[in-house]
Amino acid sequence: MRGLAERLARGPCLRLDGGLGTMLMARGLPPGAPPELWNAGRTADVTAVHRAYVEAGSEAVQTNSFGGHPARLLRYGLAERCEELNDAAVSAARAAGPAFVIGDLGPTGEYLPPVGQGDLERWRLGFERQARALAAAGADGLHVETLSDLREARVALAAARSAAPGLPVMVSLTVERRPRGFFTVMGDPAVKALRALHEAGAAACGLNCSITSGDMAVVAAQALAQLPGVRLVFQPNAGQPEQGPEGLRYAQSPEEFARDLAPLAAAGAAALGGCCGTDPRFVAALARALGAP
Amino acid sequence: MTPDPAAMSEAVVQGDAALAARLARAAVDSGADLVGAVERGFAAGLRRVGELWEAGDYFLPELVQGAEAMKAAMAVLLPALREGSTGAGRGRVVIGTVAGDLHDIGKGLVAVLLSAHGFEVHDLGTDVPVEAFVARARELDARIVAASALLTTTMQAQRELVRAVAAASFTRPPLVLVGGAPTSAAWAREIGAAWAENALGAARVALELTT
Repeated sequence: MRGLAERLARGPCLRLDGGLGTMLMARGLPPGAPPELWNAGRTADVTAVHRAYVEAGSEAVQTNSFGGHPARLLRYGLAERCEELNDAAVSAARAAGPAFVIGDLGPTGEYLPPVGQGDLERWRLGFERQARALAAAGADGLHVETLSDLREARVALAAARSAAPGLPVMVSLTVERRPRGFFTVMGDPAVKALRALHEAGAAACGLNCSITSGDMAVVAAQALAQLPGVRLVFQPNAGQPEQGPEGLRYAQSPEEFARDLAPLAAAGAAALGGCCGTDPRFVAALARALGAP
Repeated sequence: MTPDPAAMSEAVVQGDAALAARLARAAVDSGADLVGAVERGFAAGLRRVGELWEAGDYFLPELVQGAEAMKAAMAVLLPALREGSTGAGRGRVVIGTVAGDLHDIGKGLVAVLLSAHGFEVHDLGTDVPVEAFVARARELDARIVAASALLTTTMQAQRELVRAVAAASFTRPPLVLVGGAPTSAAWAREIGAAWAENALGAARVALELTT
């Protein structure tokens, strides 16, 4: 089988998965609990969620390790289990039988001064540690995602590349629609930031979370037009969360989501998937729209 | 020399905490109208920061630096305001941002302005459960319970707060004042609370409620 790096580079557009946290909650993960803990204790449930995505048409699944950075695990007193939980995340994903297992890395959850007291060097060491664990467990590639600060994204990318020299590393930022375009909350303009990440050696770079598929289609079209030859990945939310009578819900339908995303594949996107609020129905709708077998 | 309110405002807009603190000190030392210094100077600057954010010119770092400059100024002004307050005895206010919501800046500004208007403000911080608001209000015999919510998903807690206050036993039940970006006069009417659009409005409403 061809490797992930080659697939991203040569296509066709790789079908990723969708939201993980909400699906684990549906299986009983208490709100506020670290989902990574289930990699060790409730492995079968994690694998079942991954398998639902594979059955819906995901070629690559992303491991249940979004909060697997030691700085994040530390909040739950789990920092010393970083290796174990990231290793178990890869095993749980592999057991679902996808073509590719992508080791997922989320943000540290901290901010640099003046917003917070984050420290780039400490972040780097943590990203290296998590990336090394995911790579050692046999991930086919890594994806650092939902980062809202280009500086953190650069550090994470460099750390992951040095800790896992053989693996393709993807990086996705999260941006908002602002009056002057799409920016991270720290003020990085989307397309410019993606170019920087490409130049820094990302196997693919992109945008995920925060915005709807409609807004994602807009910013993705800008990125695809302005960054020819750059491998781009997009994973929007299923709309904005709204408070309904039965709790939180996301506003978009799978069909609407697929309608917005499918043209991006034709325009050259390297990979497409979903983020918060999406589930296997969204992946199935996207797979149909992409004419998957 | 009495500092110019425009300079105070600009210090906040530029996120210059050291300058804001110096201007605040100069205002105290010169015997200037300190409530005016807050309202026309520093708070006006913070409103301008908000406008620049709305316009897409400012991002999170600028918002934080503006708020830090505001805080630096208030750290100097508050003790002097309390000392010279003519409205002392207006009563106690319990204030916080509701559970699940970590937004701090707007709530902090309301707390500052209520203090400036002579209220004894007890700030419970952010992510405050309804029960904590009620317990503290009972303990302090508060006149006002002020709750901020910045998310459509957390504003429901304001309704729960109104209900919890109504259900709890008070010798003198406090008035509930709500605010935050997703809230509105219609929302406040629906849940049975008082409402203010911004921090200055909150101070005005609080004065009306307690007069």
